[in-house]
Amino acid sequence: MTRRLLTGNGAAAWGARLADVDYVPAFPITPQTEIIEQLGAWIDAGELPARMVTLESEHSMLTAAGAAAATGVRVFTATSSQGLLYAMEMLYTVAGWRAPFVLVNVSRALAAPVTLETDHNDVLAARDTGFLQLHCATCQEVLDSVLLAYRLAEHPRVRLPAIVNLDGFTLSFTREPVEIPEPAVVRRFLPGFDPQSVRFRASEPVSQAVAVLGGTPYSYFRYEMHRATEQAIAAFEEVAADFERATGRRHAALETHRMNDAEIAFVMLGSFATKAVDAVDRLRESGVRAGLVRPRLVRPWPAAALRESLAGVRGVAVVDQNLSMGKGGILHAELASTLYGVPDAPVLTSFIGGLGGRNIAPEEFFQMASVTREAAQTGQAPEPRLLFTAQELREVRRLQGIALAERHETTHSGAERSAP
Amino acid sequence: MYRIRFHGRGGQGMKTASRILGSAFFAEGFEVQDAPSYGAERRGAPIFATVRAAHAPILERGPMPQPGLVIVADETLLPMAAGGGVLSGMGERAVLLLHSAVDANTWKQRLQLACRVLTLPLRLEETGGRGFVGALCAGAAARLVGIVSREALEGAIRQELAAMPAQVLAANLTQAGEAYDAMKKHAGCVCEAPEAPAPGAVDANWIDLPFEAAELSAPDIHGALTSIQVRTGLWRTLRPVIDPERCSRCHWLCGSLCPDAAISPEAEGLPVIDYEHCKGCLVCVAVCPRHAIESIPEAQAREQEASP
Amino acid sequence: MSETIYRRMSDLPSTHLLGGGTAMCAGCGGLQALHQIYDVLGTKTVFVNAAGCMTLLSVYPFTPFRGSWLYTAMASAPAGAQGVRDALDILCDKGRLPRDEDLQVVTLTGDGAAYGMGLSATSGAIDRNLDFLYICYDNEGYGNTGQQSSPATPHGAHTATATGPAGHSGFKKDLFGIWVANRPAYVATVIGTEPLDLARKIEKAAKLSGPRLILALAPCPTGWDFDPQQAAEIGRLAVRTGIFPLKEYLDGRVVHTKVKRPRTPVEEYLRAQGRFQHLFEPERRQDVLDAIQARVDAYWEHWDPSH
Repeated sequence: MTRRLLTGNGAAAWGARLADVDYVPAFPITPQTEIIEQLGAWIDAGELPARMVTLESEHSMLTAAGAAAATGVRVFTATSSQGLLYAMEMLYTVAGWRAPFVLVNVSRALAAPVTLETDHNDVLAARDTGFLQLHCATCQEVLDSVLLAYRLAEHPRVRLPAIVNLDGFTLSFTREPVEIPEPAVVRRFLPGFDPQSVRFRASEPVSQAVAVLGGTPYSYFRYEMHRATEQAIAAFEEVAADFERATGRRHAALETHRMNDAEIAFVMLGSFATKAVDAVDRLRESGVRAGLVRPRLVRPWPAAALRESLAGVRGVAVVDQNLSMGKGGILHAELASTLYGVPDAPVLTSFIGGLGGRNIAPEEFFQMASVTREAAQTGQAPEPRLLFTAQELREVRRLQGIALAERHETTHSGAERSAP
Repeated sequence: MYRIRFHGRGGQGMKTASRILGSAFFAEGFEVQDAPSYGAERRGAPIFATVRAAHAPILERGPMPQPGLVIVADETLLPMAAGGGVLSGMGERAVLLLHSAVDANTWKQRLQLACRVLTLPLRLEETGGRGFVGALCAGAAARLVGIVSREALEGAIRQELAAMPAQVLAANLTQAGEAYDAMKKHAGCVCEAPEAPAPGAVDANWIDLPFEAAELSAPDIHGALTSIQVRTGLWRTLRPVIDPERCSRCHWLCGSLCPDAAISPEAEGLPVIDYEHCKGCLVCVAVCPRHAIESIPEAQAREQEASP
Repeated sequence: MSETIYRRMSDLPSTHLLGGGTAMCAGCGGLQALHQIYDVLGTKTVFVNAAGCMTLLSVYPFTPFRGSWLYTAMASAPAGAQGVRDALDILCDKGRLPRDEDLQVVTLTGDGAAYGMGLSATSGAIDRNLDFLYICYDNEGYGNTGQQSSPATPHGAHTATATGPAGHSGFKKDLFGIWVANRPAYVATVIGTEPLDLARKIEKAAKLSGPRLILALAPCPTGWDFDPQQAAEIGRLAVRTGIFPLKEYLDGRVVHTKVKRPRTPVEEYLRAQGRFQHLFEPERRQDVLDAIQARVDAYWEHWDPSH
């Protein structure tokens, strides 16, 4: 086992390498591209006995990934943002094939306006596809989660593809110390792919992913996917326990920090949650009994674990790095439905923060805590709040001053020539 | 926690500088986080990279509002607003290191800074005018933080520049070593930057974002040519200068081939370069049949302008 | 290329591999071609299908195939073929699949996918020199949704989205030419009413590797509006009038495999189909008929100038 500095993208590539993947259908997109470049370099150097093919779109990439998995090889692929959405039809489709593989998504906010930096609307758009979802907060988790995801996806009771999500920039391009497990250790944890009944071969004809007529078989097949996804809760416990035995690192479906006697809690996803850990520690120093709950597993949704960890908490600040237009934070809605009807459920406050890579400052965590404590005392949640400062609005106004100015006199020669 | 920010232009090696320093800290037993920060990567455009190092796992992420050390690869970056400004968030205890031929006191006065200002003498012959200074900047930073040994620095350079030819690696090791030595008397002057303010000390200063009609709130630019307000001339490290004596007034050549349409003739046919927007690509220098355009270092050109 | 085993009609297979019981329309020209193709290809095949009429060949729990099948989506069947082919190669190379368990990968789509939505995926597969056989059953419209105009719809035809007096204003796209421009391993047009020609072409295609297209005209009683009983006659007229040239591309050359001299006027083909009736009544649209005939004549003037 070696510990070295790796970016989130590097960690994802290492995860695929250690998983000994057979096939990597690929298509470049920022900020994911480094992953496929790294895998390509290893394949070219003879260090990874896999085949990589660059498709002509993410839609085709996901089709090839699913088709190869359905033929019986271990498949890894990766995308981001617009690419994930371009492939959306195939996410639903290949999940229904019940052929397991791992897709790394490097979260990046969606157009329009187009941007490169992170938020979670891309991966949460894939929430209902039938892919399992593991969300990472550190580069170490990225590597570990790829390995966990293969075990989970290939678990006989689950057999569904899985998305491992990491945040663009804050993880993808950021180096942190990462322990790289020994290949032999990984091999014991994650043996070679056993496709079971999912494969094509001449002597055993199979028609996969066929049509159905009528709602009865459709309901059956789709609800069975839901049941299989639910199975992944228990399967994750089993897989995480094996992983801990193999590597010493424990990854729970629901990550908690100082929740034992917490009076208020933050609930959020992804890498900005480490900032919340810091904020919780600082709040504790100042006498506020704060805690953090971070779902690592988002599909299946760890509802029971959430109810348990939030029992006795009086106020919960849900920090959504996403936005459902006309509704608000997706995580907030998920958590509200999870806690509805639970006796003495905490008051939920809703914050939309970190859209398009916008930072969340320490003082904002402190203020969210303060707003949430007050809401818990009064029993009244305030209106959802976008984390956006007066200074930011002034900056937008400055930009609008340029964009919305009347066509003005200019000394540029081209403009002079084009004048009538 | 040590918080270090490197500012430079794409191609100058600031990402590499951050990785070298990060790896050196890591070799010294620190927890480390290093990251470049760039938007649409464009050669010549300003970028910055950050390094955080501490003995405990690092929970902080994203922008670095309160750096302990800022290293600027190229003084011509100082007027730019990239990354919230090269000088943003520099408190009194922070240290600014400029790669510049101008001395530190002059810069301190020019910039009216309360913090400590240091310079690393600019030696253009080593960098080719706009070359790679990643190892150099990392070497200086390593000494300034005071707890990175020369061995750790060299090991980190070997690791991060492993793909480079042996000669280039050797040159970078030498440069970094010289920078490391040059900072000897300032060794350890960089403080572990302050923690964020305590809970309740600072108001988040949120506002309620009001409804605004799509006419205002859609991402549309109602006008033309607004890009000329962007002074891409600040990307330039080398400046093309036309010698009117040698110029044959064939302005259609340099003018047509200038990618940024920054060369147009004045009334007499003499081409004039729009230095507000010239990025210093030097295509004009290469295509001028009379060799009437030469390039000079931007810093030198600015010094000449400042003292006529 | 070795000698064909299909020298005369009596050499054609007399027992058929494709099962009955499918949901295809009575008189389907696409199914007619497909079952003949399957007889030649054999059962060591995996069909990768895109959304279209033939998606309903395999409806849970019924399949007419003795071999394998994978349904993908409308736009990306060639990419599905890529994944299956690559995976089979990987399994064989790594010794996890005996070579005799390997399969021929066959993409099966209608004209909507082949000429339109799936063309990007097809182009990518050809770029990558994918070893696959692409079968397009071309019924010249989005048949499975009720015969709306597709990029393969011929000029003048009525469709569910072109109901005016002049019919469809566009012209059928030259998919054969698009493939040929990419210099793939093999391209051929076939029709179920010329089974010997079809069998020889499939026999040839099956022995080659690389990207291969079989473009099968699929006379469609439902979409073209004719009595199913007329399906064979309409298929024959398509060839006799020269509106559907039977040809193949191999080794850089295009060869016509059936050249009718003299050609029957195209009007006979058009008149037999409901989708062209508006060109004859209530008043004769000589302008449109002439335009259609002129394009057919121009085609053959180019390829067969002496006649």
